[in-house]
Amino acid sequence: MTFESSPEKPDGTMPLPSTAQGPAPLSPQEFKATAEAILTNVEWVIEGKSHTIRLALAVMLAEGHLLLEDVPGVGKTQLAKALARSVDCSVRRIQFTPDLLPSDVTGVSIFDPEKRDFVFKPGAIFGNLILGDEINRASPKTQAALLECMEERQVTVDGNTYKLRSPFMVIATQNPVEMEGTYPLPEAQRDRFAARLAIGYPDINAELALLDRREEYNPLDALRPVADAEMIVRMIAAARAVHLAPELKRYVVDLVAATRTNAQVRLGASPRATLQLLRCTQVLAAMDGRDFALPDDVQQLAVPVLAHRLIPTTETTMGGGDTKAIVSDILRHVPVVSHPGRF
Amino acid sequence: MNGQRHATVVAAATLALTLTPLIGIFEGLGWAFPVMLTIAMIATAGSLMRAAGRGQGLQTLAMAVTLVVILTAGFGGGTGLLFVVPMPATFEHWASLAQDGVGAIIVNAPPVEATGGIMFLTVLGVGVVAILHDMFVVGLRTPALAGLTLLTMYLVPVSVAPDATAWFWFILPAVAYLWILGDDNLRRVSAFGHRFTGAGQLVGRSFPSPMARTARWSATGFVAVTLLALTLVPANTSGLIDNVAEGIQGGGESYGLGDVNPWAQLSGSLTRPEEVDVLRVTTDDPNPRYLKMHVLDELTSDGFGPNDYDGTQDLDSLDDPGDEVYTAEIENLQLEAPVVPVYGAPADLDIDGDWRIDPDTGVIVGDRSDMGDVEEYTLRYAEPAPDAETLASAAGMDPGDERWDANTARPDVPELSEIVADATAGADTVHEKVLAITQFLSVSNGFTYSLETSDAGNDEAILDFLETKRGYCQQYAASMAWMLREADVAARVVVGLSQGSRVDGNEWVLTSHDYHAWVEVYYDGPGWVTFDPTPASGVPGSVTFPWAREPAEEEDPGEEPSGNDITPEEPTAAPTDENGQTLPPEEGASGGPSEEAADGAAEPLLPFHPGWLALLPLLAVPFAPALWRGGLRRRRLRPGTLTAQTAWDEAMDLAQDYGVSIPDSYTPRQAAGVLAAAAPDAREAAAALGSAMALHRYSPRGADPAGLADALRDLYAELDKNAEPRAKYRAMFWPASLIAKASAGRAEQSARLSRRSARTTDRVRSALRRPRRSNNRDRHGVGGRA
Repeated sequence: MTFESSPEKPDGTMPLPSTAQGPAPLSPQEFKATAEAILTNVEWVIEGKSHTIRLALAVMLAEGHLLLEDVPGVGKTQLAKALARSVDCSVRRIQFTPDLLPSDVTGVSIFDPEKRDFVFKPGAIFGNLILGDEINRASPKTQAALLECMEERQVTVDGNTYKLRSPFMVIATQNPVEMEGTYPLPEAQRDRFAARLAIGYPDINAELALLDRREEYNPLDALRPVADAEMIVRMIAAARAVHLAPELKRYVVDLVAATRTNAQVRLGASPRATLQLLRCTQVLAAMDGRDFALPDDVQQLAVPVLAHRLIPTTETTMGGGDTKAIVSDILRHVPVVSHPGRF
Repeated sequence: MNGQRHATVVAAATLALTLTPLIGIFEGLGWAFPVMLTIAMIATAGSLMRAAGRGQGLQTLAMAVTLVVILTAGFGGGTGLLFVVPMPATFEHWASLAQDGVGAIIVNAPPVEATGGIMFLTVLGVGVVAILHDMFVVGLRTPALAGLTLLTMYLVPVSVAPDATAWFWFILPAVAYLWILGDDNLRRVSAFGHRFTGAGQLVGRSFPSPMARTARWSATGFVAVTLLALTLVPANTSGLIDNVAEGIQGGGESYGLGDVNPWAQLSGSLTRPEEVDVLRVTTDDPNPRYLKMHVLDELTSDGFGPNDYDGTQDLDSLDDPGDEVYTAEIENLQLEAPVVPVYGAPADLDIDGDWRIDPDTGVIVGDRSDMGDVEEYTLRYAEPAPDAETLASAAGMDPGDERWDANTARPDVPELSEIVADATAGADTVHEKVLAITQFLSVSNGFTYSLETSDAGNDEAILDFLETKRGYCQQYAASMAWMLREADVAARVVVGLSQGSRVDGNEWVLTSHDYHAWVEVYYDGPGWVTFDPTPASGVPGSVTFPWAREPAEEEDPGEEPSGNDITPEEPTAAPTDENGQTLPPEEGASGGPSEEAADGAAEPLLPFHPGWLALLPLLAVPFAPALWRGGLRRRRLRPGTLTAQTAWDEAMDLAQDYGVSIPDSYTPRQAAGVLAAAAPDAREAAAALGSAMALHRYSPRGADPAGLADALRDLYAELDKNAEPRAKYRAMFWPASLIAKASAGRAEQSARLSRRSARTTDRVRSALRRPRRSNNRDRHGVGGRA
């Protein structure tokens, strides 16, 4: 059981003019510039994975939680840490183990003999960015405690409710191959993650570059934050203002509806999925410097946002099909503009 | 290939079945053997070629050669080399046969004798159809198209002789078609080795499928429903169904003579482009009148029909009028009719064959004799010429006369009664009425001669004629007689030949264009008197009847005889003084009427007819899709209507036209990428179109259409440049986007239809289920939940 705090307030200066000008709304260009800065920063640590990083940042700015599911050692934790460090905010890490207790996550009231009273000692969840490592190794009880916080953005201990910080994002990692001693997340809890991403192995060039870079030092240590929590909050607000055309909303709804009617799927995506897909779409559009979203944004996000929520039928699973393929297939068949009269 | 041989037999058999309606238009069954032989030989030729593994082209060639050989052997007239190889002379012979055949078809009404030209045309037609049929059914395996050939075969008798073709002949072609379809499907399914039934059983090849029963029932049902529909749907008067009763009762003989419909013969002859000499007459009559053939005095709402001539007497009963009697020697050039054309009042007839006279009408009817067998005959006849004063004072037919009913009967047509009442207002005597109606139909009242009218003589056609004032002798004569009957004057229509044209001295030639119809009116005393309401300008051999004008008034330019033939005639014995008086001075005759003749009589002979202009749009048909597509493009790119959306629609259609596949799950950017890949030099244009569309559809500010038209033109040019020649032509003349739009519309319609029918089915089902459910559960109000 490990708690690890991020370095408090590094001396990096904010090169962004907007912070000085107060809460003026971010222009699409400023949004894009800031996002690019963060991405460049993270890419310094994770080579050759710009697309994944981009999606991870999009999920963060959409106030969603991210599930990183991949084999050990591809940089899940590195990604989460780099993202956290690039944004000047508090990062907490929770290493999930079978003996981790819910109170370790949420916090606990301890009797203070001097005050002769119980004092609330905040748990690891009280940070801006929570990195939950190997979440499927914790007992369901602890998982439930974390997931409750994720959804409610508040913690209730001994009748007292404590609001969590904003921005608040959980990046959980889990290992797909480990079978023993794991408690797979139930579908209802998987649904709380806005997106599931896999990082994947780096290609040969990226891996070579990685070796070169890490010869001398861990680039993570040299990382300087390029935005602060306040900036992130403003970016979140700006992303919510991105225009969603009726055709686009219809497209998103069509996509989600298609997961529910697909013959290979036992349980389709929830309306929560629709909402989160739209919000991530907005962020992706804003990161592109636009104030309106395009179906191209939706298509980039559909697999990460929808695939982990679907429960395939037994036949599909046994046939070797997976939900990513199902979502890709749906993307190939749902028309971008739904035709009146066609069903 | 056993299957192919089987299919060949089926094709030949079905074609033979379809020929059965021909029974109605031919006399006897003599035609059947050569026709069947033709079908069999053509089928055999095709089958042999197939067995030898030759392609469709050689099969068709073999069948065509077989047909030529058959024609040479059967109709070559001995001109062929070794009787089977056609020589140039053979083709000449065929041409004359075909000409004869066409002539015979025009002149004769069915049933016709299957000889010479008609037989040649029949074998030729059936042979060509047999080749096509074999090709569709066996060679190309498109049995549905074979319906076209079957339909062609069925349409021939139906269009030639609607009267002689009874409805039940439809059954056999229909059954034949179902047979072809069924057989082909069976062959297709059998190709899998086993036939499969709905219940999942395998059925051996030789056993009928259990599903066949359903198929047979539904096929029978379809045929029954079709026939039922045919009998119920109101057809036009000359359609099949009107003849059902006649077909059954009278064996297809809808007229008393069973042979000729005088109206059809009349209009057929007049509208026939080339003129055929029919009779040559040598007579001492200096100014012969009309030759009477048929009398039409049975008036129904379908118009005048021929008399039954059922009270015929021996020719000996002809009485010699005594006074002026002329002699005419008439040579038959090409007339086939069951009646003998005669002048005025025949006094004596010298003719081969058995002929009898119908005293009521004065028609000489053949007793199993036909004019086709008569080379020439001699006629002695009188031309009674009552003078106008006599007629003016004469009374009409006595209503007590036994012939009164037959000659004044007319259907009730209120509109016509009104017109007649107006036209004959103030006319008291029969002659006044006749003159009033003649005047009503005259050129001065705006009536003109025209062959461009329908030849139906029914009540509607008559009213039409009186309204449009355009028609030819059929309408004129029928209208006049009908109007006279309406005015209670006994009148009837006569069909025959006009004067014709003088060739030399007292020799006259009558051609197929000299067929004519006129009117006879009954006067007490003079009897039946001839009147011709048709404007003389329209009738080449028109004769003016001196009594057909009011005694006092002599000059009526509108009614002057055109006098092509008659004008130079000296007044002669029979019409004597009156004729001399009424004939105008020569200047008057040669001036006006020749122009009228030019636009009246000459009209049907012109090789160029304005009607051909109507065919011009047909030429545009192959270009219609291209024109439509171009129009659509121009409309979309017009500055007023151009938006990113229209530009994008056009780009998508262009892509489809040129075969660039863009799924509708592609976003505008992705689609633009596909376009750019298809037209690399128009990459910018494609990108501009794509992002304009994305802005238009998804941005709150929309897109600026400026420059999109140019971008589209670039894209179009580039797509066209990169396309294969075939794809280019297809994009031009058969644009896929248009086809898709059309079929999308149809798909939408059928989807709507199926949704509706599904709803209906649901409703019916739930309605059926409701009572049972409430019984089972013993509850009320369950129906509401169904």
